[in-house]
Amino acid sequence: MLTFVIRRVFQSALVLLIVGLVAFSMFRFVGDPIDNMLGQERTDADIARLRTDLGLDQPFPVQYVKFLKGAAEGNFGVSYRQGRPVSTILVERAPATLELAAVSGFFAITIGIGLGVFTAIRRDGFMANMIMSVSLIGVSLPTFLIGILLIYLFAVELGWLPSFGRGDVVNIGWWSTGFLTASGLKALILPSITLGLYQMTLIMRLVRSEMLEVLRQDYIRFARARGLKERSVNFRHALKNTLVPVITVTGLQLGSIIAFAIITETVFQWPGVGLLFINAIQFVDIPVMAAYLMLISVMFVGINLIVDLLYFAIDPRLRVDQKGAK
Amino acid sequence: MKRALSILAVASAMGGPVLAEEFTWAGTTDPQTLDPHAVNSAPVLGFLNNVYEGLVRRGKDMSIEPALATSWEPIGNGKGWRFLLREGVTFHDGSSFDAEDVLFSYQRASNEGSDTRSWFSPVSDVKVVDAYTVDILTTAPNPIFPDSIANWMMVDKGWAEANESALPDKENGNYATLNANGTGAFMVSEREPGLRTELVPHAGWWGEVEHNITRAEFTPVQNPATAVAALLSGDVDMINPVPIQDAERLAGSGDVQVIRGIEARVIMLGMAQESDVLKYGDDEGKPNPFKDARVRAAVSHAVNVPAILKTIMRGNAEPASQLVSPAMRGYSNANADRPVFDQAKAKALLAEAGYPDGFSFGLKCPNNRYLNDEAVCQAVTSMLAQVGMVAQLDAMPVQNYWPELRADNYDMYLLGWSPGTFDAEHPIRFLASTPNKEKKLGSWNFAGYSNARIDALLPMIQSEIDATKRQDMLDEAAKIMQDETAYVPMYVQPLVWGTGKNISLTQRPDNFFILRWVSVN
Repeated sequence: MLTFVIRRVFQSALVLLIVGLVAFSMFRFVGDPIDNMLGQERTDADIARLRTDLGLDQPFPVQYVKFLKGAAEGNFGVSYRQGRPVSTILVERAPATLELAAVSGFFAITIGIGLGVFTAIRRDGFMANMIMSVSLIGVSLPTFLIGILLIYLFAVELGWLPSFGRGDVVNIGWWSTGFLTASGLKALILPSITLGLYQMTLIMRLVRSEMLEVLRQDYIRFARARGLKERSVNFRHALKNTLVPVITVTGLQLGSIIAFAIITETVFQWPGVGLLFINAIQFVDIPVMAAYLMLISVMFVGINLIVDLLYFAIDPRLRVDQKGAK
Repeated sequence: MKRALSILAVASAMGGPVLAEEFTWAGTTDPQTLDPHAVNSAPVLGFLNNVYEGLVRRGKDMSIEPALATSWEPIGNGKGWRFLLREGVTFHDGSSFDAEDVLFSYQRASNEGSDTRSWFSPVSDVKVVDAYTVDILTTAPNPIFPDSIANWMMVDKGWAEANESALPDKENGNYATLNANGTGAFMVSEREPGLRTELVPHAGWWGEVEHNITRAEFTPVQNPATAVAALLSGDVDMINPVPIQDAERLAGSGDVQVIRGIEARVIMLGMAQESDVLKYGDDEGKPNPFKDARVRAAVSHAVNVPAILKTIMRGNAEPASQLVSPAMRGYSNANADRPVFDQAKAKALLAEAGYPDGFSFGLKCPNNRYLNDEAVCQAVTSMLAQVGMVAQLDAMPVQNYWPELRADNYDMYLLGWSPGTFDAEHPIRFLASTPNKEKKLGSWNFAGYSNARIDALLPMIQSEIDATKRQDMLDEAAKIMQDETAYVPMYVQPLVWGTGKNISLTQRPDNFFILRWVSVN
């Protein structure tokens, strides 16, 4: 068990290092931050001085090692754009993204499962077919388009919901939450739908096909033959057995909800880490880009590590293989 | 916003205190710092003009007017200026403003790490005469010096030193990066960098209040479609800019108004004149035709500027004949005609220069710096192709664009220039002087244009006190650049702002949004 864990952790660390290296080698293609930091009346001497001050005159492996040294001490450097420590900015922006991801995840799971069950039970019903057809839109329309359409409908035409931003937030310690104010809750609706729509359709389609599979099983027929109520058959027996693969997929999708929040956050000017990253790219704010990419990869690697460890705990065959290998 | 207003309106009808007017506006760029000496860029200086003030300021028509100085006069045979300071001015934290703050702000703004340093290159010394008199001495007579310091903002010495911000720190930031303490009409009451900045009126402001705002909030909104939606839905009261393609529709929608104007920025084509060979296209490595003034003239006749203005700018922009717009001081009325669109003439010029069949070259262009910049470059490419000049267009984000220009990787390029001093001398110094690192001249003259007479005229223009003689020299410089087609100025970039119907404001050609001229009706 221990060797397996250690090996997995080492592999994860290696992946992180490689992601960082690739990221750093790409940064010089993003552009040059100097022009954004100096005005039009700068001289060549100013450019050279700033470049040296920022360490941009050094080759990228050197910059990378410097970044790693700082990161190991929890210091991600200072944002070129804001002149503040990157870690402070990330902590400030994280709650917005996490709350958005949580709400859209919740929306995707509840509505997704609900509609999935409905379309499976009423397989040939008119409504079910409608939902299945409309759900194709959810899969095929790009996120930014859905966002803009929702804004025009609900903010501009109907005037019900705000067109951008997070509304008023309440600070609880360092965490800023939009859950406690009316404007904060209203502001959450459109971005969560935009962000969660794809996941929702995915879950719905997954639940539907799993459910159809389960409903054909013998024990469902026996349950029906026993005279159990339809509701009890569908939800207590069928749905429960459907959820195992759904939970696996949903868990893995959690990471992508956070990572794909970039587009939704840009459309809704949502003050999270995704918007921060987009702004950082436009400004060539290398410390922010580096920290964000590292955080996202830590998250993905972490999720995968946990999944692997869970498999190890659940699946006895893995343990047998380990012993056999010795 | 709408609801907040109606609630407040009810409150005041019920005998509440003063009617509160809140104003929110959105722009594409958040000021990256609140330090007025750290970064010399329009988003920063434009925003901070509401918070900090200089000795002089620009009025609604861009003219220089007294601000923290009540009057000024030349001293020492023109080699310097004496400024008499306004008395009774207080900073937002309550401390008073005097000559020591001017001296301190000079030292701070002219420091090596300060981006505003170039404004003070003509200054030899700053002397405090008494608490409300300051002498600024220059190495040579400098008639436009008061014009050039309209954005030099005064920082309180005691405040900056107490908060360890005696010098600006662009790389690591300091207290003054996140906090502001000016003398301006508004003070920063809350700031979340990159998200929102809240301003409230400075109760102790010395000037006469024209606005009726009690609280104002700025939010950066990057996505243009989101900004338009926010304006239409009433979530914000003003956006800058309105995407040109949406301007017509918004103006016709009836809920909002579109305010159009002309910016100080002239968009032009630059052509490599130093390089001996072409660097891109099929003729890569062959002799560089742009060294020949006739070829450059051919370019100026081949580009159909009226068509670009009509189709790409949708009638919002004005054609440009020289490196500054007519709104700038020193604009040459004598050279107000720009080359006419004449393909036959362009072909004739090319044939005369030895290129009857044209040639192929590379055109570099930014795609996110100026309004519709890439579309303009595409139009230019097809217009030049019609007379045989085949451009290989390479458009890229601006953060990649400047490094390319600095590395001389172009045959032709697109450039926009807004003179920081609002004077015709500025582009001569930066764009037309022979590049000279020691004298800090021609630092944006990527083309490598060089003319001995222009180089000789520049110092004379800079030190000429007599306005007529100065204008004669500016006219001469403008004529030389036209005759040699140093650049091909195309148009003055438009300003398109959108506001709610109940907002009145003044739009200034430098694209600075001045909050004290706003009223919410």
